[in-house]
Amino acid sequence: MHPGPRAVSRVQLFATCLGDLVFPQAVADAATLLAACGVEVEFPSAQVCCGQPAFNAGHRSAARRVGRTFARAFSRNLPIVVPSGSCAAMIALRLPELLGCEPYTVFELSAFLDDASVPLEQVNEATEVGYHASCHMLRELHIDAAPKRLLERTGATIVPLRRPDLCCGFGGTFSVRQPEVSVAMADDKLASAPGTAALVTADPGCLMQLSSRSARIGGTPVVHLATALARGMRAAA
Amino acid sequence: MTSLVQPPARFRERARITLGHKGVQEMIDSGTAHLFARRLEAWADLPDVEATRERAREIRTRTIGDLDRYLADFGAALGARGGNVVFCRSAEEARRYIVDVCVAHDAKLVAKTKSMATEEIGLNEALVDAEINVVETDLGEYLIQLAGEHPTHIIGPAIEKTEEDAAAVLSQVEGVELPPEPQGLLRAARRQLRDVFLHADVGVTGVNFGVAETGSICLVTNEGNGRLVTSLPRVHVAVMGMERVVPTLEDLSVLLQLLPRSAGGQKLSVYTTLLTGPRRKNESDGPEELHVVIIDNGRSNLRGGRYEEMLNCIRCGACLNVCPVYRKAGGGAYSDVYSGPMGAVLVPLLAKVEHAPSLPHASSLCGACTESCPVKIPLHELLLELRRDLVDEGIASRRERLGFLLWSLAWSNARTYRLSARLARRFTPLAARFGPGRNWSKERELPRFASRSYREL
Repeated sequence: MHPGPRAVSRVQLFATCLGDLVFPQAVADAATLLAACGVEVEFPSAQVCCGQPAFNAGHRSAARRVGRTFARAFSRNLPIVVPSGSCAAMIALRLPELLGCEPYTVFELSAFLDDASVPLEQVNEATEVGYHASCHMLRELHIDAAPKRLLERTGATIVPLRRPDLCCGFGGTFSVRQPEVSVAMADDKLASAPGTAALVTADPGCLMQLSSRSARIGGTPVVHLATALARGMRAAA
Repeated sequence: MTSLVQPPARFRERARITLGHKGVQEMIDSGTAHLFARRLEAWADLPDVEATRERAREIRTRTIGDLDRYLADFGAALGARGGNVVFCRSAEEARRYIVDVCVAHDAKLVAKTKSMATEEIGLNEALVDAEINVVETDLGEYLIQLAGEHPTHIIGPAIEKTEEDAAAVLSQVEGVELPPEPQGLLRAARRQLRDVFLHADVGVTGVNFGVAETGSICLVTNEGNGRLVTSLPRVHVAVMGMERVVPTLEDLSVLLQLLPRSAGGQKLSVYTTLLTGPRRKNESDGPEELHVVIIDNGRSNLRGGRYEEMLNCIRCGACLNVCPVYRKAGGGAYSDVYSGPMGAVLVPLLAKVEHAPSLPHASSLCGACTESCPVKIPLHELLLELRRDLVDEGIASRRERLGFLLWSLAWSNARTYRLSARLARRFTPLAARFGPGRNWSKERELPRFASRSYREL
């Protein structure tokens, strides 16, 4: 059992592929927040991706090939922080079996920040937001209260979603195999917090799905939790 | 004839149709949300729902692990009480047996209760082919039969139907225009079905559980039609999936705490019927003959393997009610019989995965199904396993396999990963015109690759 974030002085940051390529600002915000906790942040430069896209599509050997980049890049001696619920779940719950390796000490970003009592500014004062729980973060890592608690500490008021249990419709390759159902699921999610400044999610997969659909229909802005906490909804929108 | 074989394009085509019907979307949304909320309430009412689920899982796993013995016990016990038990390997065998029973009794009219096992073997079509009139007596199933359709929810077959839809089909039988008013429609249906109960020569039901120690069959129903169908006709034929056996009455009592609660949020269904053999000499009620038709129809494929846990399913429908994909796509997208997460797992297993290759992918793997399952079947994990089989058995398309191979080679080290990112940035607009990129961008913006990745910031 790891003693937890309070005892940590250095962490390794895993940007995730979507974080690195599509949402680099969210990763930068995550790094800022980690630094504010007083921990030194390492960025292993050999990192690529955890292999989840292939793993969830049933392509184990492709997943293994990409997953090995993770095993090569990250040290087992330092905790790993991931600004993505589903990638954190992949690393914690799937990677050891897939690669036949020992488990990693891995934290989803908001769980780490919450436990480390990250200092936060009132960047979302008097702002109403919706929080979309990533399915893997909610059901596999059982993290739900931490991100909401952090948002509230920045002054945000969290408006409960109509059906917080429902998936946003991303699901990796599901989003392109069943595009019509996937988009309909995104629409329901985007419509489920009317009148809020933004929907916040801690998963780049959900973020890509929801923001891509929102951009097309002119819907609610969708923001990564790290950005919402570090710079606030208004800066992000 | 009903078939579990699903063409690859079916899911997407049927889902599109359902997505296009605003009224149907609303019916599914309100129907599933209602059942979901009621289940949570009913679960909360148990002293320790987790312990009960664990106990139920243990009972199901133990039973499936020793299924031959329990089936033999069940057959022997029921045989001793005068019932006829027959084991059918295939749907065809089961259909033929039941049609033969009907023909032997010169049956003109068969009354049925709702049964997914009879849907699975395509019994109604077989009876009609033999020129035997068959009528469904569960209200939802009756509406579906009149509409010439298949059930789209294993518990609420007519979940997509509105009062107007019901009025339209009932009016046709009635010969007068009925207003879409629930009480009036119910009266009309009751009137129409009464004749069926009184004149049916054979009653056909499913079986929720078969109790091995007593040879009893347990039926869980709500409308009272189950009792009429099993007591008025001369002959009762019960169709049971081979996995539906439980060892003892005590085991049954555990499962009965979960089945009605998980299905409709009821502590107990309106009728819970235990039938042990046909009418005996000194009894005044019940059928003269009872046939229990046990079907395999592919279930043996699951035994002893990675998917054995799916045989634990008690057909409560809880996973349908929480599934965000079912909620949008509707039950018809999956198959004519089973739908939602349990259907997406079971249909490919019964039919062989190459005959239903789109179903393992008809899920976003959100895991809500697994969370809702009263007997704790890891449904989304089983979907993941089936996806793996699609790849390992060479059923996934060559294009898909090549795509993942190339992707994994490109992303097998950071240097080629960076190169691929540069290419992706440059060719994003082009990607919108082909395959996955086109499917993504038809109704969504393509994700814009940042001009500098995080490592380049």
